Amino acid sequence: MRSEKIFQILLFFFIFTTLTIVVGIVVSLVTTSSPIFIKYGLDFVFSSVWNPVKESYGILPALLGTLITSTIAISIATPLAISLAVFSSEIIPQRFRSLMNSISDLMASLPSVIYGLWGLYVLAPILHNYLMLPLHNYLGFIPLFSTKPTPTNLFTAGVLLAIMIVPFASSIIREAYTAVPYNLKEAAYSIGMTKWETVRTMLGYIKSAIFAGLFLALGRAMGETMAVAMVVGNILNIPKSLFDMGYTISSLIANQFPNAEAYEYMVPALYGGATILFLIGLVINLVGLYFIKKVMIKG
Amino acid sequence: MKTGKILILATVVIIVVIGLLLFSGLLAPATTSVTETKTEIKTTSVYIGTINGAGASFLNPQMQAWASKFYELTKGRISVNYQSIGSGAGQSNFREGLIDFAGSDPPLKKDIYNEFQAKGGIIQFPVIVGTVVVVHNIPNVESEKLKLTGEVVARMYLGEIMYWDDPRIKELNPELNLPHEKIIAVHRSDGSGTTRVFTAYLSKVLEDWKEKVGSDFTVQWPVDQLGNGVGGKGNEGVAAAIKQNQYSIGYVETAYAYQVGLKIALIKNRDEQYVLPTDKSIRSALTALTKILPKAHEDWSSIFPDETVDPPGLDSYPLTSFSFIILKQEYKDPVKVAILKEFFEWVLTEGQKKENIVPGYDPLPPEVAEIGLEGLKLLR
Repeated sequence: MRSEKIFQILLFFFIFTTLTIVVGIVVSLVTTSSPIFIKYGLDFVFSSVWNPVKESYGILPALLGTLITSTIAISIATPLAISLAVFSSEIIPQRFRSLMNSISDLMASLPSVIYGLWGLYVLAPILHNYLMLPLHNYLGFIPLFSTKPTPTNLFTAGVLLAIMIVPFASSIIREAYTAVPYNLKEAAYSIGMTKWETVRTMLGYIKSAIFAGLFLALGRAMGETMAVAMVVGNILNIPKSLFDMGYTISSLIANQFPNAEAYEYMVPALYGGATILFLIGLVINLVGLYFIKKVMIKG
Repeated sequence: MKTGKILILATVVIIVVIGLLLFSGLLAPATTSVTETKTEIKTTSVYIGTINGAGASFLNPQMQAWASKFYELTKGRISVNYQSIGSGAGQSNFREGLIDFAGSDPPLKKDIYNEFQAKGGIIQFPVIVGTVVVVHNIPNVESEKLKLTGEVVARMYLGEIMYWDDPRIKELNPELNLPHEKIIAVHRSDGSGTTRVFTAYLSKVLEDWKEKVGSDFTVQWPVDQLGNGVGGKGNEGVAAAIKQNQYSIGYVETAYAYQVGLKIALIKNRDEQYVLPTDKSIRSALTALTKILPKAHEDWSSIFPDETVDPPGLDSYPLTSFSFIILKQEYKDPVKVAILKEFFEWVLTEGQKKENIVPGYDPLPPEVAEIGLEGLKLLR
């Protein structure tokens, strides 16, 4: 009985601590950023001027950049992550499986600055020469590809983010996939399903885990800082095409924070950006939860 | 999973070992242990302790070298910690009393200086010389061949000069075959002292720039609005952007340009000569500057860098600048005062000798070092 009680007290203690930290972060975000919202109101969100010399700040370009890069990232990463999960738990021979998984896990835990450097020196020039330039030259009439690309831009950042979040999303999906009761698989094969049909059934069974994994990955893509700051171009303009250089909120914070204290309103402005990022994350998580629930009830 | 665990464990072990080695200084960049000459410092004091500083990242490699050399010289009696967190953050930590000294590219702003003046005073003095170069990536033009004026560079970043074959550039370079290609103007995307110095120079040489853009750690680059600007994070980001974008122009710290092998442009100085950052041209600039530099306890904000860029002198290199150390005049702990004095006196004398200067930096001439030495006398 006694140990039961201690366990409960400890549990409450930890839950309380975690909650306090989260609430503390939210409170400090809101209070620190309040001066910028008081001074500029919604103009802060909907203007595209970032001029520290004149102490005027607007983060619309960075906000759009965050949304665009993470959309690109998640649309590329979704099929890749699911395929990787299926491949590593279904197709690859048993003895290579753990090696493959640990490589993928290692990739998920690599510091993002390494991805950033690789993205800047290797990925960006390759994408530029073999994908973006041809796309622009032949399909430039489509508004999405209308800008003559430089190696670092929103598209490069999106692709790099996709590469970064694939192992992360796939490891969540893989865990769920391998946790599916074996009976289900046996049953599927026993009624004569092909491998492809079996996999499809299994994936249907873990739909909610797939959603969860992808939403977590999306959250990571939105918050990713160093790697994006290195390849996104860092220009505060409203993007007109995928190949425009841009900014994301988190890379803006990373770039500007070291000297922000030298200005009156830059610290609040950067915290304001963080607050908005936090709100977006919240909305995405809520939408994600809603979808997961819906899927769970249906399935 | 077993293989996975072993792999991860192995990685962790390797990282920890490397970390420990670095920490213990075994792998640290061989800090002049070769030049173990008998430069035994004459110390009258026998204080033992640690001082903590933080700030400008530009200063970091040199500070680390000084700190470890000094640690060696005092046989471990005094250790100096310096964290590279950026000039702004360093100044703010210093204001809050979290650190004993701040390293900063620009000196304190006027209002912060006044705030300190009311609270017992501060001193700020240059410790090292740094220069900024204009670099380019025009494939058929060699390094140190392209000639530019500050005004032309300013107009490129304003977006007024958009092509390399613009008559205003051709006029300066009649012997070069400049192509009709768009100029991509690369700049720092993070707030930096380098940008502060560069934009101060552009403001000084072109009234238009001063009015439209101004000078600061970060400015709103007009060329970005035209879609011809690229922002790079840090010197390495700018260097990569220049290498990857043909027909680009940019600015970086000189040491970095040489390390990475960027093509350097000649800049016309105030006396109409085209110059590169050489020992001679830096020396000439510093000599011209000595006359206008304030004392350590005075306000520097109106002088540096707005007045110090583009100094007169036939050989003077226009983009010459300093990094500063900022100290309070009063410390509660007398031991701290003694240590700060001892360390920075060494930095301003022995520390400026060639063997103690990290490649890429330039030492202060004695008359500029004197500013700091005088200032240190105010410490109490």
